[in-house]
Amino acid sequence: MWKRDKKPVVGVFGFSGCAGDQLAILHMEDSTIDFFTSADIKFFHMAQSHQEVPKVDIALVEGSINTERQLKELKEIREMADVVVALGTCACYGGIQYLGEDVKTFKERMKYVYGESGEVPEFLDLVGKPRPAQPISEYIDVDIMIPGCPISAENFVPIYTKLISGLLPQKYPMPVCVECKYEGNDCFLLHGKYCLGPVTSAGCNAICPSMDISCVGCFGTYEGANYPSMINKLKEIGLTEEEAIRKLKLFGGNKIEQALKGD
Amino acid sequence: MKTYKMVKSAFPDFIELIKTKGKLFGPVKQKSKYSFEEISDVKDLDFDYQRTVLGVKKFLTPPKYKTLTFNKEGTKDIIDEPETNIVIGVHPCDIHAVKILDRLFLGNIKDPYYASRRENLTIIGHSCLPDDKCLCQSTGTDMVEDGFDLFLTELDDYYLVWVGSDKGLALTIAASDLLSEDISDETIREYVRWQQKRSSMFKTVMPSFKYMADIITLNYDSEIWEQFGEKCLSCGTCSLVCPTCNCFNVDDKILMNAEEGFRERMLDSCTLPYYSMVAGDHDFRPDRTTRLKLYYTHKLKEYIGRWGQPGCVGCGRCVTYCPVDINVLTVSEALFGEVCETKEVCE
Repeated sequence: MWKRDKKPVVGVFGFSGCAGDQLAILHMEDSTIDFFTSADIKFFHMAQSHQEVPKVDIALVEGSINTERQLKELKEIREMADVVVALGTCACYGGIQYLGEDVKTFKERMKYVYGESGEVPEFLDLVGKPRPAQPISEYIDVDIMIPGCPISAENFVPIYTKLISGLLPQKYPMPVCVECKYEGNDCFLLHGKYCLGPVTSAGCNAICPSMDISCVGCFGTYEGANYPSMINKLKEIGLTEEEAIRKLKLFGGNKIEQALKGD
Repeated sequence: MKTYKMVKSAFPDFIELIKTKGKLFGPVKQKSKYSFEEISDVKDLDFDYQRTVLGVKKFLTPPKYKTLTFNKEGTKDIIDEPETNIVIGVHPCDIHAVKILDRLFLGNIKDPYYASRRENLTIIGHSCLPDDKCLCQSTGTDMVEDGFDLFLTELDDYYLVWVGSDKGLALTIAASDLLSEDISDETIREYVRWQQKRSSMFKTVMPSFKYMADIITLNYDSEIWEQFGEKCLSCGTCSLVCPTCNCFNVDDKILMNAEEGFRERMLDSCTLPYYSMVAGDHDFRPDRTTRLKLYYTHKLKEYIGRWGQPGCVGCGRCVTYCPVDINVLTVSEALFGEVCETKEVCE
């Protein structure tokens, strides 16, 4: 039987994103109280007013990095944490804000949003100078990735509780299709409808296909994904190559970018 | 064992009777698919089906289940499932699949989780007519002599009720008011005519299983595997829907309070990336090609070597559900194509 000498110190940090992953932790209902008692939560902006950050054993980091200030803070987190967990699709792969990375240059995008000068207004200076959105792994070493938009408690809890118990979580990537077949669902791709299940990381219990909605890939990329074959399949059911790639990019972030370049 | 006749009008009463013996499951149409679901009304049953997405393995090795719970004091096995499940409408291929699972899980080393579920499962088979994806005639699993408790053959006005076990016999005794033993010459003629009609309906014939094991050995280094590997999505669908695939993964899950948890078994697939990874991060099958080759050599060659019969029962699920058409039919056709161009050798 395992035992713990002391409760590990945990910090929950948020960068650019909808904060849905932090909210998902608070929304675990029966388990929420246990989250605050099973570890020593020293930093959790969304849930606590009193914040201390001397050193944490485990840092749960949500969101993508979009400003210079965030980048500096992220590096500080890496310095003070033993284990860094990327929480949610934004932190893992860049999220939706990564879209457009290859469509226009960053400068063009800034001009599109903020006018000819392409500069952010002064009052926004407090968040720091903007940068193109990137997943946290672009800048620091990430120990564990828990994707999701938002993360699901069923997927998050077993990984997190192993970490706070001093155990190594099992790394076993599988696509949404596995969970979809656990539910005994039919396959959209066989009926001429698109679905990104075969290239998307599982962890959601195939909730959308089980509700008769195609998978849009919100849990990010699946490690064993076969993109050329997937694109062919999507073309076969009537999408153009451009449409297929656009669908893959929605949540695929930097991983799709690398895969399509053949990295 | 004994065979009875049951007129079709007695069927609703038969179902009502069966329902008193346990929780009844049967084929139910759900939009574009069929599934074995709990039956409350006899009208929900739809025997005019080809295949469910998941076979009877969903009752015997469910996709995900807890095998034990643990806390700081110790562990507790979760084995007993005292509830009796009855599944009606099972086709011969799926009964053969259960026989294969029985051989694996109830052999020298009995799997206690499977054993308790198997013991509490009553199987009532039902005759079927094939579609173009049914390969059971080729795999020799289109007829079934055992492995069921009762088997219903649907003829024009009545069912022939075949008894396959003591459990089934007990059911027929309970249902004796609904059954007759009046098997006449005409009954036999009708049955034979039905069998002949069914046999002639098989449209898809697989290359001969007589030399399948040899053909796979000869093709071991064939480029065919690369071609399929390039196409394969590594999605695991083929093995999850296969009624004989039974590989599972085990993980211990700790609850949020970090003081208790459970051990979970979940169906796995050899087409997934880390299936063959061992300690030290050594992976014997890092690419899709070798993983697919493992799937098919195991199913179509190793099974034959070990049990004298392939691990495929010809249910046609992989033929139906693989999104990129990699299945026992396309793979075996490609393998035979490599070594023989003439049809006579293949048939």
